[in-house]
Amino acid sequence: MSATIRVEDIGKRKGEVLSPIGVEDLEPLPPPYDKIEEQPVWKELSDDVKGRTVWTLDGISALSLPQPTNEAEEKEYVDKFLAGLKKLLESENNWTFLQPLTLSLEYCVRCQTCNDACPTFTESGGKDIYRPTYRSEVWRRLVNKYVKPGGKIFSKFSDGDIDLNWTTISRLYELCYRCTMCRRCAQSCPIGVDNGLITHELRKLFSQELGWAPRELHEKGTVQHLQVGSSTGMNTEVVKDNIEFIDEDMQDVTGMDATTPWDEQDADMLLIHNAGEILAWPENPGAFAIILNAAGVKWTLASDEVAYDGVNYGLFYDDIQLARIALKHTATAKKLNVNKIVMGECGHQHKAMMTISDRILTGDMVVHKESAMTLLEEIVFSGKIKFDPSKNDFPVTMHDPCNIVRNLGIVEPQRRILRYLCPQFREMTPHGIDNYCCGGGSGFAVMSPNNFADWRISLGGRKKFRQILDAFADQPGPEVKKYVCAPCSNCKGQIRDTLNYYGALEKSGITYGGLVELIVNAMVDVKQPFIEWEMH
Amino acid sequence: MPGSLLVVIAYILLAVFLVVFVYRTYSIAKLPVHLRWELAPIPHEKGKSHYGGSYFEEFEWWTKPREKSLVNEATYMFQEILFLKSLWEHNRKLWWFSFPFHFGMYVLIAAGGLLVIGTVLSLLGVTDSALAGLGVVVGPVAAVGFVLGGIGAIGLLFKRMTDARLKAFTTPMGLFNLVLLLAVFATGIYSFLALDGFADNVSEFVGAVFTANTALATSGVLATHLVLALVFMAYLPFTQMMHFMAKYFTYHQVRWNDTPLQVGGKMEQEVQKLLQQPMTWSAPHINADGKKNWVDIATAEVGK
Repeated sequence: MSATIRVEDIGKRKGEVLSPIGVEDLEPLPPPYDKIEEQPVWKELSDDVKGRTVWTLDGISALSLPQPTNEAEEKEYVDKFLAGLKKLLESENNWTFLQPLTLSLEYCVRCQTCNDACPTFTESGGKDIYRPTYRSEVWRRLVNKYVKPGGKIFSKFSDGDIDLNWTTISRLYELCYRCTMCRRCAQSCPIGVDNGLITHELRKLFSQELGWAPRELHEKGTVQHLQVGSSTGMNTEVVKDNIEFIDEDMQDVTGMDATTPWDEQDADMLLIHNAGEILAWPENPGAFAIILNAAGVKWTLASDEVAYDGVNYGLFYDDIQLARIALKHTATAKKLNVNKIVMGECGHQHKAMMTISDRILTGDMVVHKESAMTLLEEIVFSGKIKFDPSKNDFPVTMHDPCNIVRNLGIVEPQRRILRYLCPQFREMTPHGIDNYCCGGGSGFAVMSPNNFADWRISLGGRKKFRQILDAFADQPGPEVKKYVCAPCSNCKGQIRDTLNYYGALEKSGITYGGLVELIVNAMVDVKQPFIEWEMH
Repeated sequence: MPGSLLVVIAYILLAVFLVVFVYRTYSIAKLPVHLRWELAPIPHEKGKSHYGGSYFEEFEWWTKPREKSLVNEATYMFQEILFLKSLWEHNRKLWWFSFPFHFGMYVLIAAGGLLVIGTVLSLLGVTDSALAGLGVVVGPVAAVGFVLGGIGAIGLLFKRMTDARLKAFTTPMGLFNLVLLLAVFATGIYSFLALDGFADNVSEFVGAVFTANTALATSGVLATHLVLALVFMAYLPFTQMMHFMAKYFTYHQVRWNDTPLQVGGKMEQEVQKLLQQPMTWSAPHINADGKKNWVDIATAEVGK
């Protein structure tokens, strides 16, 4: 067993890797995935990357943070960090989360009850730095020592010591991207302390004060979304072309009306997809179109920039970017005068629009928002579409997206659909609000720089992969095709990467997809099987 | 210790407790409304809380009446507060010590409450027999509290000093808190065993505090216990042991706060004021200058 890494160690041993991690440290997977020598080898960081970027937390570089060139630069960042630390605790700068953050700062009793709730910690073989409490305690000590009056005198007694220096903040920055903010730890806390929230707030500090954020979430994420119209880089013209192509393709395949209406004034609902679906999983928006048209719903997509992409990566790292995107989504809904906005199959879109931005949008910016899960349940059980569940007679399990289930409490609608339409539906253990994150949460699913993809899939997604295998343990071989239903784009991206990483389609016959695909596959009027047993 | 000194110490320490307790509670309560950050399960969701469901599961939820079950919420709170249910479910090894530790304190609070009521009744001239009856009950009840609390405190100290997981995160203050409470429990049980009529003696002290009777005569052992208990009370609100207060907010104001914003409502007015605050975040993409408020910054066209 490796030596204990203490909280104060984060600022020590500059230039060394604090807590190296490798595949050999991880909890073993069940057969046929139990042989380390048969698993993909983790990518080695090149000497160039090692020389230029910060990787001294665990030997992983998720963020490509450049090394400062001199001590003056280091000091500048440390000073900025300290300024941000103070701003997190000010109403003017952080009223959005000040009360929950203060509670989590002041009242943790350090009982470590949350540790075993964290899939990253448990699957890592118990690495101290991955405890949900480790990064929180670093932050707590820094606040108590460097922000509170008399902290330098009393904090050793009240909290334990820590040093604020470049090594501390650069490792802490990386550490903020080793937590998917799934909030399973918060659920288990007897006090109600929320380590996921602390991760969220630290990410905000780095972004909003130092301008540090993962390129995939910021430059290629929210900035591109606001500038071009979508985090995928698609502008209005491209997205309309792509959807037109999808409509035609789906119509050819199914013989169903898959026409997508655009910018329909006074429509009942504005559907906003995660635009990643349009590029990576076109059958998903296609299936939505088939279902909504078959049910006679008056719906529309919007071609306004930003409003055709439900992604809002601001949720993961920056309140201001979040607000900017939420405002654009809402402005389009108001312009079209729709009754409601419906979230596509995207978990973080649900959370960003349905709860987080609920208290940012006031007055005439208030628009009703609904989950696709409830809308689809209403349609499936309305009798407007005929289904033949025997068309889905293969093993199906469901992954619960944290943002839809644990954070919003939308648990049963999607299950009622699967119980009705999928005769061999079985639950994972645990499931529902006790689910485990896929490992791609909080933006990880779109982050694969340097050697982070190996960490994200091998460790971050390990618990989910184990759960998937367990759910199909009665028919483990590849001869029986099995389907993981993941009604969330980011989750699908992570599950795709995990299944591909281990060759799970070939070895175990497991593929994945969304909810609407299963619904269309079961429609009596759809003559050809809609689900393709291949990796997308 | 002279009775007059003991009474004066009691006034000072109780005043510190009261002032700091109220201040800390108020300082949390007055923090601005925050963005929604609820977490399932929310027990007041009628018919759904047993699996963690919410009103978002309803088709066009805004058209449906919100059905809340305060009974479910009260049941959840009762199990959590009294039996530390979440600790039982998620950290059973610690529960075996944490439960008697906390339950011992509940028992002591109950005994103290009964004793204060009895003393006040006595001072008001209500029958002595009632007080005598209380005295008989309160002493043994307090003794049970001391023993449970003591077992819990010793167990928690042992765990914090030997369990590698806890040890790495245990602070000097955390150990001091347990030692201080252990001293309160130990001197309490010793006083109960050493004195004839423990409850009567404590009742005399309570009466002296109520009546400012400086002629109080208290034995050294009881005085030691009372001073330690009062010191603990005065010290408590400075520490994270105030988590019993914080828990109200973490559960009711954060985890279970699923109230949607209503146009024209009080929350909307508060949010609109908060949005008028200038911000000073200094990353370039924020484009703050210390004068622009949240609305200015969020609605500005960026990077076009």
